[in-house]
Amino acid sequence: MTFLVISCQSLKTAVYDQYSYQQAISLKVESDAIIDHATTPFRDHINVITGLRMDLKKLVEYEKNKPNNSISYAMLQLLENEDRNLLGGFLKRWEEEQQLSEAFTKEAKAQIMEAFDLIIKYEAEKNKTNETNILNFLEK
Amino acid sequence: MDFEELLKLIKEELIRVLGESYAEYKEEAKEDIDAFLESSKVKLERWTNLLVSTELTVKDYEWLVKSQKDILVLEALYAAGASKRRLGHLKNKIIKTVVETVIRVVL
Repeated sequence: MTFLVISCQSLKTAVYDQYSYQQAISLKVESDAIIDHATTPFRDHINVITGLRMDLKKLVEYEKNKPNNSISYAMLQLLENEDRNLLGGFLKRWEEEQQLSEAFTKEAKAQIMEAFDLIIKYEAEKNKTNETNILNFLEK
Repeated sequence: MDFEELLKLIKEELIRVLGESYAEYKEEAKEDIDAFLESSKVKLERWTNLLVSTELTVKDYEWLVKSQKDILVLEALYAAGASKRRLGHLKNKIIKTVVETVIRVVL
């Protein structure tokens, strides 16, 4: 019985959250615009970058405290982590080197945008899962 | 530079390196190698060309290959769920071997 309860618990997924979805899209658009400036000195953009880091941190904290949300939380942590190689790591490298090459910025930006797309898609899929569950329930 | 030849070399090197360290995960290791190389092929080719033309530095190249690993981790999370897959050491070993092989062959 205990095993059954644990198994069911592990299969649960957080419900679709419009706030998470909107915030992820907003962060993607914001990041897209900021990354384009990485070929110029970091210090010239310190205020917007601090704002972006803060918005990302807020979303990670929000996801952390939602029940049955380990996947979204892990995905956002990966995006934010300065020691990995997505948004957090990119901003850290820009700060350390002050200015990045055009070729690197373009390629890194494509990687970061792809990461955002996966996170946004995952949140949107929760909507479909919920919809399917409701339809299945109504058809019974 | 023949990129197909380079990919073949990377794969052989990965099988050799991972075969020694991960004999018990042989099948899983092969799947990881194939998944990594297949989904990364176009990007690796573009980045390798940019490295050869010196538009990317070795540090840039290494950063991008590692970012590809992070994308694959995100894909794995998306597809399978965080606790269902082994995501750690094996993929780190793949990245290290890819970068070392490319640097040895093209630089």
